[in-house]
Formats: sequence, C-alpha cells, structure tokens
Amino acid sequence: MLNEFLARLRFFISGKSYGEVDEEVRFHLDQQTEANIQAGMSREEARRQAAIAFGGVERAREQCREERPGYWLETFVQDARYAVRGFLRNPVFSLTVVLTLMLGIGSTTAVFSVVDRILFRSLPYGDSNRLVSVGLVAPIEPQEFMLGGSYYEWQDNQKPFVALTSEIGTEPCDLTENDPARLDCARVEGNFLPTLGVSPVIGRNFTANEDRPNGPPVALISYSLWFSRYHLDPGVVGKLIRIDGHATEIIGVLPKDFEMPRLQAADVLLPQALDVAAERRADPGHPMWAFARLKPGVSIEQAKAELGPLFEYSLRLAPAPFRKEVHLQVRSLRDRQVHDVRLAAWVLLGLVMAVLLIACANVTSLLLARGASREKELAVRSALGASRMRLVRQALTESFTLSAAGGVAGCLFAVLLLRLFIAMAPDGMPFLSKARIDPRILAFAFATSLICAVFFGLLPGMRKAGAEALTGRTQTTMRHAVLRRGLVIAQIAVSMVLLAGGALLAHSFWNLEKQSLGMNAENIVTAAISLGQTSYPTPESQMAFFQRLERNLRYGPGVAAFAISDSLPPGGYHRDTIYAALHVEGRPAQASGTGGPVAWRWATPEYFRALQIPIVEGQGFTDEELTSNDRFVVLSKLLADRLFPGQNPLGQHLHLAGGAPAANDSTYTVVGVAANVKNGGLGGGEEPEYYRLRRQRAEDWDRSSVLILKTTLPLGATEAWIRSQVASLDPTVPVDIKTLSERVGKMADRPRFEMLLVGFFAFTGLVLAVIGLYGVISFFVVQRTQEIGIRMAVGASRADILRLVLANALRLIVPGVLLGLVLALALSRVLSSLLFNVAPHDPVTFAGVTGLLILVALLATLIPASSAIRVNPTVALRCD
Amino acid sequence: MPQSTDLLQGTLDLLILRTLVPEPMHGWGIAQRIQQASQEVFQIGQGSLYPALHRLEYKGWIQADWKASENNRKAKYYALTRTGKKQLEAEIESWDRLAGAVALVLEQA
Repeated sequence: MLNEFLARLRFFISGKSYGEVDEEVRFHLDQQTEANIQAGMSREEARRQAAIAFGGVERAREQCREERPGYWLETFVQDARYAVRGFLRNPVFSLTVVLTLMLGIGSTTAVFSVVDRILFRSLPYGDSNRLVSVGLVAPIEPQEFMLGGSYYEWQDNQKPFVALTSEIGTEPCDLTENDPARLDCARVEGNFLPTLGVSPVIGRNFTANEDRPNGPPVALISYSLWFSRYHLDPGVVGKLIRIDGHATEIIGVLPKDFEMPRLQAADVLLPQALDVAAERRADPGHPMWAFARLKPGVSIEQAKAELGPLFEYSLRLAPAPFRKEVHLQVRSLRDRQVHDVRLAAWVLLGLVMAVLLIACANVTSLLLARGASREKELAVRSALGASRMRLVRQALTESFTLSAAGGVAGCLFAVLLLRLFIAMAPDGMPFLSKARIDPRILAFAFATSLICAVFFGLLPGMRKAGAEALTGRTQTTMRHAVLRRGLVIAQIAVSMVLLAGGALLAHSFWNLEKQSLGMNAENIVTAAISLGQTSYPTPESQMAFFQRLERNLRYGPGVAAFAISDSLPPGGYHRDTIYAALHVEGRPAQASGTGGPVAWRWATPEYFRALQIPIVEGQGFTDEELTSNDRFVVLSKLLADRLFPGQNPLGQHLHLAGGAPAANDSTYTVVGVAANVKNGGLGGGEEPEYYRLRRQRAEDWDRSSVLILKTTLPLGATEAWIRSQVASLDPTVPVDIKTLSERVGKMADRPRFEMLLVGFFAFTGLVLAVIGLYGVISFFVVQRTQEIGIRMAVGASRADILRLVLANALRLIVPGVLLGLVLALALSRVLSSLLFNVAPHDPVTFAGVTGLLILVALLATLIPASSAIRVNPTVALRCD
Repeated sequence: MPQSTDLLQGTLDLLILRTLVPEPMHGWGIAQRIQQASQEVFQIGQGSLYPALHRLEYKGWIQADWKASENNRKAKYYALTRTGKKQLEAEIESWDRLAGAVALVLEQA
C-alpha cells in the first residue's frame, strides 16, 4: 500500500515524457513488422498488418496518458484555463456573475457573522449549555429576577442544580485614587464564578469569609481594567485600590472574554456581602438575579417542575396583589441574553438567505443562457470524443472558478458590510460590536460559495448535448428555457417577500417618527448628572448641590424654562410602581391583582411648561408648594380617568405606597391633571403616570437628576456653558448633555437600523431579480429574432411584436408576483412584533409593493422589447 | 486469424504479471508470449496492452528500464517488482477461486 503510494507520488512529481510512449510503440510496430516479414509478407504488407493489429496508435497514447496519476489535475488545470479564457472573452457576463455572487455571498457572510454571536456561538463560560437563568417574572419586570426573602430558601432546598448563584446588579462606583475614574462595580455572590465555570486568569476567587457583611474588602478586576490601568502587570494581585473611598485588595483578574450573564458592563467584581440571616427574614428582601448550573441529565422542563414547591413558597411571601401575576421562569442563559434580538436575528438570517437564493438563481440563469448559446460548442466537443463525465467536470470547473472569484469578492464585501453594520448599529444591540470575520465565518462563506457552485454548475452541466444540437435549433434549448423561467418566477416571488418586509418596516418606522409624543422636544437641552457616593453621601448634600446648580443656571443666557426631574420621557428609565399601590383616601383597598405598572417621576414646577405638556385640569405645581410640608402630585390624564372616573380628581388625597394606609404613609394632594405623554419607549404602550413634586426638602432628593432647560441658544453654546457651571461647583462630577431630540432620536436607532438592513437586502434582492428578468427577456428576444423577422415579414405590426414580448414577460411577472404575495402574506406575521401601528397584512403596503415590483419588472422588459420592435425583417431572415 | 476473445476486466493485468515471472520483457515480447502461451486464443489488442503496462508501472507492481534488445535496438523492458510478485500471488489465488466456482456451477447446473 505504502509502496504503491510512493510509486504514484514519484511519478506524480517526476512525470514521464510522452516521447517514451511513442518510442515504445514504434519499437513494437517494428518488431511486429519484422515478424510479419519473416512470416513471408512483403515489407509494405507487413507494416500494414502490424499497424492493423496494433489498433489506434493515438488512442493508445491517450489512454497511457490517462493512466498517469496526475491526470485529473492536468485536466482540471486545463479546464480551469479554458474556463478563465472563456470568461475573459466575455467580461460583462463574468463581471455580472462575480458581482452577483459577491452580493449574495458577501451579505450572507456579514449577516452570519453578526447572527452567529447571537444564535450559535457558545458563551464564555464553562459548559455553558447547562447554565440557566432562574427567577420570577411579574408584569412589572418581564425578565426574571429573585428576591432575597426566598432566594436562600431556594438555594438550600433546590434539587435540579449543581449550584445556584446570584448577583445583585451593577452600580457606578468611583476609583478614588490619583487619576480618579468612574467605573461599573458588579456585586456577586461568593460562588458566582465557580458556578459559571469561570476562573480568574491570575489570582483567586472570593472566599466564603469575604462574602459576608463587613468581610475583608476584596475585588476582582476585569481584564480591560488590568490592561488599561496596570498594563497587564501580574503584581497587581495583592495591591490595594480605593473604591468609593474604601481601600480594597485586588485578589484576581477576570478572563479577557468574561462578561456578566446579563451583559452589563463590569470593571470590578465585589462580593455582594448580603446578611443572609437578615435576608431570610426580610420581605421581600434584596432584589437579585439568579443563575444555576443544571445537573447532568436534567432538562430545563424537569428543573422547572422540580422547583415547583419552592416557587409555591415564594408565592406565599409575595404581596397579595402579585400572586396571580407572578410566574416561575427557568430558561437557558442564551435565551435570557438574546431575549429580544433573537427574532430580529432569525429574520435577518432569513433575509440574506433569500438574497443568496436570488443571487444563485440569477447566476444559474445566466449560465443556462450561456450554456444554451454554447450548445453547438458542446456538441462539437462531444462529437470529438469528450465523455459526458468530462463535460460535467468542465461545467463544474467553470462554476467553481466563478464561485471562487465570487467567494473572494464576497469575503471582502462582507468585511466592508460588517464595518458598516457596526458603524450604523445603535447601542444595546448585544454582541454586534464583537462580530468578526473569523476562520469559522470564512469556512461558512467558502461552504456557501461551494454550494452555489454545485447548484448552478450541475444544473446546466447535467445534460449532454446530443448530436442534434449541431443542427442548430433544438428541444434542449426549450427545456433550458422552462428552467430559466421557473428561476425567474422564483426570484420575483422571493424579492416580493423581501420588498414587503422592507416596506412594512419602513411604514412602521414612519409611524414611529411621526407619532405624537405628547410633548415638544424642540429646543430642550437635558443634562443628566449622577453624584459620587463619597463626595455626596447624604440627601442633604445632594439637594444642596442641585439647588446651587439651579440658582446658577436658572437665569442664564437664553434659558426660557428650567426644571429638574429624575428621568425623561418618552422612554428609557423611569420609576415604576403598580396601580394597586395607589390608594385613594376614603375608599376601600383594591380587590386583587396588581392593576399593571404605573410610571412616575419627580418634577419641579416648570417641568410641564418646559416640555409643553398641557395641564388639562387644575394648575399643576406652583412655586409656593416647593417649601410646603405637604406633598403634591399631578396625574396623567390616563391615570386620572382610571382613578377617578367621572369625578373631579383635583384636591383628592392619595397614598402612593402600598395598599392600606399606614401611620407613616404620607398623603399626596392631587393638584393637576397633565395630558398623556409617551412613556413606554417609542414603540411601547402608554403607561398611566404621575408626577411627584420635588420640594426643597432633602427627602425628595437622591444622587441622580436630569436638568431640563428650554433654551433659545444653540446646543453647542449651552452645553459649554452648563459644563462650566457644573465644573465651577465640582469639577469631578460627570455630566451627560444632549438635546431631548437627540435622546428621542436615539430611541429610534434600533428600528431605523432594522429598517435600513431590511431595506438594503430588499433593494439588493430587487436589483438581482430585475437583472434576472432582463436577462431572460433579452435572451428570448435574441433567440427569436428570426421568428420576429418572419412575423414582421408576413405583416405583424410593431404593436404585435411588443405585445408578444410583453406577454412573455407578464407570464413570468404575474405568477412571480402572485406567488410572492402568498409567501409574503404567510411570512409577514413573523415581523409583527417588530412593527409599530402597522398590521403585518397592511393592504396599503402590500398594494404599493406589488405595484412597484410590477412597474420595475415591466421597465426591465422594456429595453429588450424596444430592440425587438426595431428588428429589421430582411436582416433577421438572412442571418443563419 | 482467430477472433480475439475479450479478456475479462482485470485479467490482462494478471496475464502480464504472470508472463513477467521468468524474466523482464518488452511490450511486444509480452504480447507474443501471451498469444503463444494461450495457443493464439488471446489476441492482445495491443492498444490496451500499453495502457495496462503503464497502469501497472504507476502502481509500482512492475518496473521499466530501457535496455538493448536482442536485435540491438533500444527497448523498454518491464520487470516484476517485489510488490508485483505479492500481487501476482494474490491475483492467482483469487482467479483460482473464481475459476473453480465457475467450473462448479457449470458441472452442477
């Protein structure tokens, strides 16, 4: 076996001259001739008989060549050379094919590299498939969470997990050293890293002793912090850093690819150090997020079932209104992470697959057309002795050459496209910024182009041209035509689906942009300020800072109105409570259920004037109330109508915290009703809302506030001025300044991104499909030039010819559009959760798209049609 | 001249290998020898002899050398290699089995 291989290799490398074979054959013939002469033949006859006995010399020589080990490679090189020569002779054709493939393969690869991170790549934890997120879901918080009151009970008694761990969230913290910095500190349980299967790159994990109240202050730092601040110095372990003023020992560094399971940014991990005994007694206890590792062989469903009794226990602890609306949630960590982008990812993948399909169909169609015009050539080659295998191989070589070129171009295109995606993408698209073209993705691109090659190489190559092809007009051309027409119909159908999806998203985006927010975001500058824990430890100091700032800013240049709140409409963060917690004085407590979430914010009197939110009843907050001992509240119209149907809400007294009025539960007086303002995000629903007056009392203040300035000056000037005013009070305080329009615009980033992506692919698909249609129709015209000539010669008018061509085109367009409509109507339901105020079967959108597609398709047929009606009968009939 | 009998696929290889056992030979010699030994039953279509010889050479079962022939011309002599000998034994064995089986069927059926 080895010998044989070595022998083959030797011949493969050293080769053997064909001259040898000739000489051998000549020797053979001479010997035979001699023998024949000796048998009594004349010299002439002897030579003739020898040649007859030998058979075809040329054939023997060919066969000897075919036995060579390197034969297949030689023919491959030959085929490839032939293919390249053929393509270079027809650069427009080749360029079209390569560009089409580039678009198809490139966009598929780019999208796959994005989607890969979301749907397929394993998470940066040990055996991440067994990690789950565990917790309760409630209407107020649809992503599962836990509460300290029951968490430890779960941890002690759970059966399905190897381990259960928790984190209590991430907070901004200050590195108070020379060169201070604002960081994100995550607080986690002691067994957090071992449960996730993560070990520090250097140093160690927390010990049980460190994860308890008043334990020794220790921290793990992220790899990027280690890099940026300590230049990867291994001596960092054991160093002391000051976090929020406390000297903390660094005990280890996290791996480079570490990320928190909920994907929050985290520079530092600290032990959460909860008082377990106190938490067990507490109700509801500290909010936390729990993660667990499944025992081998336990499925998520089993785990959920086994947690049933513990969930019952937690339900008994929950306040009555919540019980019916709280559910148990156990799902894989990946599901938790990709929560709301999963659908978008699949839609995207489906889209590019559709584009790829169109591209492949296009190339197949082009090659078929080329094949039809090469029918004669193939027939000649076949007649000269090319085997069917050889012809198929030739066809495959051609398609591989093309798809290799397309694949390389596609990879380059993918890199560009990916850069574009990342540049365009809004914040908060998880993973997108980490998407890379890596070897796996390249393998994917390669596989894609290979599949394309086989697809469009085999189809046209499958048939062997019969001898009848030599005569010119044949049946096979017609069969070709049927296949091509089928492909074009499929292309039109798929691009109809793409267009419909793109148009629906565009329509939805239009609605999103044009909707009334209930306020006027023009000329509003906002400044979000969050004070440091150490410099401003008390509400008094926090209030003092903001009041000083207000005095400095209120009467500044161009400021028409000034307000302080803690959050901003129309979306993003705001405080939440439940409807059942609102209690009107003099009424019995709410019966059951939470009544859904209610948004609320702090506001100062000018809030409504600055944002131009009309006060529809009462007069809103007044400056006198700022110093009052009483508390005041303004309701949104939605909330007022719900709390006081048919009654006058003004002057009513409300309790805002909890069901039955308790002794220390303060009373709030309703002093106004404001028009509804969008508060659930641009695409979200509207929650009922109330505003609490932020008085000049320390109890109403905390670390963070948003300043709202209605100004007549441009942003640049105002921003610099605000920064200087803040810095004059405290230069270490970070300020985030944006116009409100910018903040609103940012919220539309995600839908804009989705719309642009889908629109891009829809456009690409449409262009490709139109090229395909154009190709088929012009081929039809060229092929039928003679026929058209005859028709004209026997009296057909130009209108008749035009009708002929158009009828032909319509036979492709109409079935394509109909099929596409059916498909699009069936598939658009998938998009419904991405749509805003547009039904997935919106008739206007569908009608528009249908009209557009038909129009563009007819335009594509117009060029070949016009050349058809210009056919000169005499010329057409004379050509062969 | 008797009609040439079609050789079974693969049998030609066996015959060539067997013919080369006594001494190295050139192509014409091999053809002659097979023809004689088979009492003119096998007329080797020489067109297929040379591809077969080349195939065997590429497989490493025979080895070729240019030598002077009996009438002092340069000719390509083929000789059996060690692998070739082993291969011959295996082929003869399988041929025997095949021939025996065919004979059995012919006798009994």
